Amino acid sequence: MPTEESLTLDKRLALVSFAKDAEPFIVVDTDKCNHCESKPCLYICPAEVYAWKEKLNYNTEGCMETGACLIVCHKIGAGAISWKYPSGGKGVAFKLG
Amino acid sequence: MSLEGFEVAVVGAGPAGSAAAITLAREGVQVLLVERGTFPGSKNVFGGRIYSYALKKLLGDSWKDAPVERFVRKEGITFMTSDNAFSFEFESKDAEGSFTAKRAKFDKWLAEEAEKAGASLITESRVDDLIMDGSRVRGIVAGQDKIPTDVVIACDGTTTGLARRAGLASMLEPSQISMGVKDVIELPSEKIEERLGLEPGQGAAHVFIGACSGGLRGGGFLYTNQDSLALGMVVGGDDVSSQKTQSYSFMEKLREHPKVQRFIKGGKTVEYDAHMIPEAGPKMLSRPYTDGMVVAGDAAGHLLNNGYTFRGVDMAIQAGVAAAQTVLEARKKKDYSANSLKVFERKLHEDPALKDMYTFHRVPAYLRNRRLYTVYPELVCSAAEAVYRVDGTGKRKISREVRLQAKGRVSIFTLIRDLIRGARTF
Repeated sequence: MPTEESLTLDKRLALVSFAKDAEPFIVVDTDKCNHCESKPCLYICPAEVYAWKEKLNYNTEGCMETGACLIVCHKIGAGAISWKYPSGGKGVAFKLG
Repeated sequence: MSLEGFEVAVVGAGPAGSAAAITLAREGVQVLLVERGTFPGSKNVFGGRIYSYALKKLLGDSWKDAPVERFVRKEGITFMTSDNAFSFEFESKDAEGSFTAKRAKFDKWLAEEAEKAGASLITESRVDDLIMDGSRVRGIVAGQDKIPTDVVIACDGTTTGLARRAGLASMLEPSQISMGVKDVIELPSEKIEERLGLEPGQGAAHVFIGACSGGLRGGGFLYTNQDSLALGMVVGGDDVSSQKTQSYSFMEKLREHPKVQRFIKGGKTVEYDAHMIPEAGPKMLSRPYTDGMVVAGDAAGHLLNNGYTFRGVDMAIQAGVAAAQTVLEARKKKDYSANSLKVFERKLHEDPALKDMYTFHRVPAYLRNRRLYTVYPELVCSAAEAVYRVDGTGKRKISREVRLQAKGRVSIFTLIRDLIRGARTF
């Protein structure tokens, strides 16, 4: 049997169902991130919602709703993230979790 | 559905919420069970195993209708370096002690049991706030709907939003959380049984410690579903942040290990899941009750990782039942004040299953010892390598070999101290 080639995060995220929420459920005050040394959100997020390209970029579409970014941002980082769950019925849907 | 006339609102249709709703509805209480997902279980992720006892107690014989993947008969643990592995395995004669499951099926089924008992379930409804009257909780706010109730049972999961709203919790520290990620890998059932040495229908659970977590607090797990493997990693929230390593990157480390490769070879990954795990235990809340509200399940730290068993669903069910019993007693007295609801804490301490949380309260601190993920797995593997190697260069006695292997890695004093602390902790 052939071995599955190594999976990138993009390939993994393509396996997950998401229903887009029109309402922004994560809002980041990205000016604060410019002064953030540790940038812990970049590492804790299992879906790479946060990326650094000269400034903090974030894309909530792949958010798996763990809520961990909020904790590390406020306890280690710059306290820039406002986070709540997506609206009812929106966001990630796991079938095999 | 009219959202008026409910005595109790249960927020979150996970195991804690559904168990609470079942217990209340059976006593004729008007219960509203509120779930934010499109169906119960659609937001939920776990490692993969449920201990049966809590379900048996809650449902009697109908627990047999639970959507079981496989009953776990084999427990394994592997200490690994990047290319070595030292494993041991226990085969249980208990045919139904625990089983693997998928939450999208299991939680849905348990919520249906709550509906059968008479609870009303609404889905796709996010609870945004509590109706507060001073410090007294008087119901929930879900979108446009204000739903007044006599009491609220908050089973809203790890992020514990309602407990924070009611002032029972401050935000957790990164050291008090872990990030869990998992790949579900499809594989024919005969392959699963062949590779893990199982009879048809039997299941296995396996834990991996060492190289897979790259020296960070954490480890890997493998559970067998009927036609898939749930392979995952759990890593410490503080470690991931301070070491600047992406939480999901550990999945590849785990998958690349030869031992794991042999399990998953030829499989096809069909879903990727993630979940935050609170590791602080019940002390993550100042107390699990306030005027008009009790908190149960992950939201109140009702789960247990003692290093070798990982328990969430059974504890959540037990805590949900205890929360419901607390509410039933308060209902008789028509008194939902904090003073009346504080009996919940006693129930948690006295429950024969839940009291394990208090017995093992020192474990999280012990598990933060990095040597457990670096030095000791390496030591075990290199000592085993030396013990089993016969190459004609002469053999040492095992005790001498272990001492030799430990040299430069860890002092005998530290090793003994860790062992003694371990013996006291576990």
